[in-house]
Amino acid sequence: MTLEFAQAVYIDDGETITFAQLVERSGLTADELGNLIECGAMPDEGASTGVARLGERCILVARTARRLRDEFALEDSHALAVVVRLTQRIEALEAELHRRRGGR
Amino acid sequence: MKYKDYYATLGVARDADADAIKTAYRKLARKFHPDVSKEANAEEKFKEVGEAYETLKDPEKRAAYDQLGQYAAGADFRPPPDWGQAHAGGQQFSFDDLDLADLFAGLAGRGGGAPRGERPIPGNDYEAAVHLTFEQAFAGTELELDLAAIEYDEQGRARRVPHRMKLRVPSGVTDGQKLRVPGKGGKGLRGGRDGDLYLDIEVAAHPVFRVDGMDIHVDLPLAPWEAVLGASVELPTPAGRVTLKVPAGTRAGQKLRLGGRGMARPDGTKGDLYAQAQIAVPTVTDEPQRKLYEALRDASNFDPRAHLS
Repeated sequence: MTLEFAQAVYIDDGETITFAQLVERSGLTADELGNLIECGAMPDEGASTGVARLGERCILVARTARRLRDEFALEDSHALAVVVRLTQRIEALEAELHRRRGGR
Repeated sequence: MKYKDYYATLGVARDADADAIKTAYRKLARKFHPDVSKEANAEEKFKEVGEAYETLKDPEKRAAYDQLGQYAAGADFRPPPDWGQAHAGGQQFSFDDLDLADLFAGLAGRGGGAPRGERPIPGNDYEAAVHLTFEQAFAGTELELDLAAIEYDEQGRARRVPHRMKLRVPSGVTDGQKLRVPGKGGKGLRGGRDGDLYLDIEVAAHPVFRVDGMDIHVDLPLAPWEAVLGASVELPTPAGRVTLKVPAGTRAGQKLRLGGRGMARPDGTKGDLYAQAQIAVPTVTDEPQRKLYEALRDASNFDPRAHLS
């Protein structure tokens, strides 16, 4: 058995990737990804330049979206965007609850 | 290779149409999805259901699956001799090293085995859960991870290859965070990029320290006289014990901040450590101590309930 050495890295929003790169890396279609950006699930940091650039953290959102799409056979890209937004709101509320409980 | 009856897993007949398969899958996905299910073995069931649907929803894969024949679930079998030629573009498999899911996953990235031009195919991303102690998360750690990945040799034969990976996890990771290990997912084909490995970090709760964002909280029990008069007390921190100067008049619930002693951020700065004062009440057992408290009571005009009157 081979033993490889590797460094785990933080997913850094300082780094951005293009729309096309995110399509390739996430497995989502351009249509699905476009709807996620449009509904605010992923902030487009290149909106002012007309060329979509997305923070690296968007990969996590896109991977969650692909997982939800595949696992629940969600075929409507608008419905998928709504589910992702609701999931994000639940996560934010859970984080706030956790914070208010003092991390206990 | 062990046979899995994907139709039975989804609870549909072998001649079920695509809509019936989809409906059955959706029903079972809702029932067994680990995020929503309270059933025992939900995660395992969900994986089985997902694996079955992944193959049966695709007409080409379903045809290839049907051509394998029908056996009892769990029975050892080998695909017919011409199966690889018919469904995998002549691709050869080392069937002993694969299970049924691997076999069909191998077909997926390769266009059902038939060459689809020279388009690069990116490698799959992998995901693994990593369990850390609080101390490992605070200081960073090295750990070994065993993975079994499907790889293709020069002849295009798929096989499952075990890998052991020694991973350096940076300091300051928190529960629920995801980390990325670039290029350590599945191998890309025809010049496609290698996939990444994503780590789902789980940090065990610590009996003394609590993490909130990048800050750490710890309870600081004080004797009544330490709170009133002030004191220098020893306090445990994740980096070792420190002497903390408690100011006179410290109240219960008050937080004393030790800057830069929290979790490390990716930019190298650190959160803070907060010691929350608690007034511990001693059990008075002997007469001299009781008399001292009584003398204090008689001498003091302190009214802890003044704000209630």
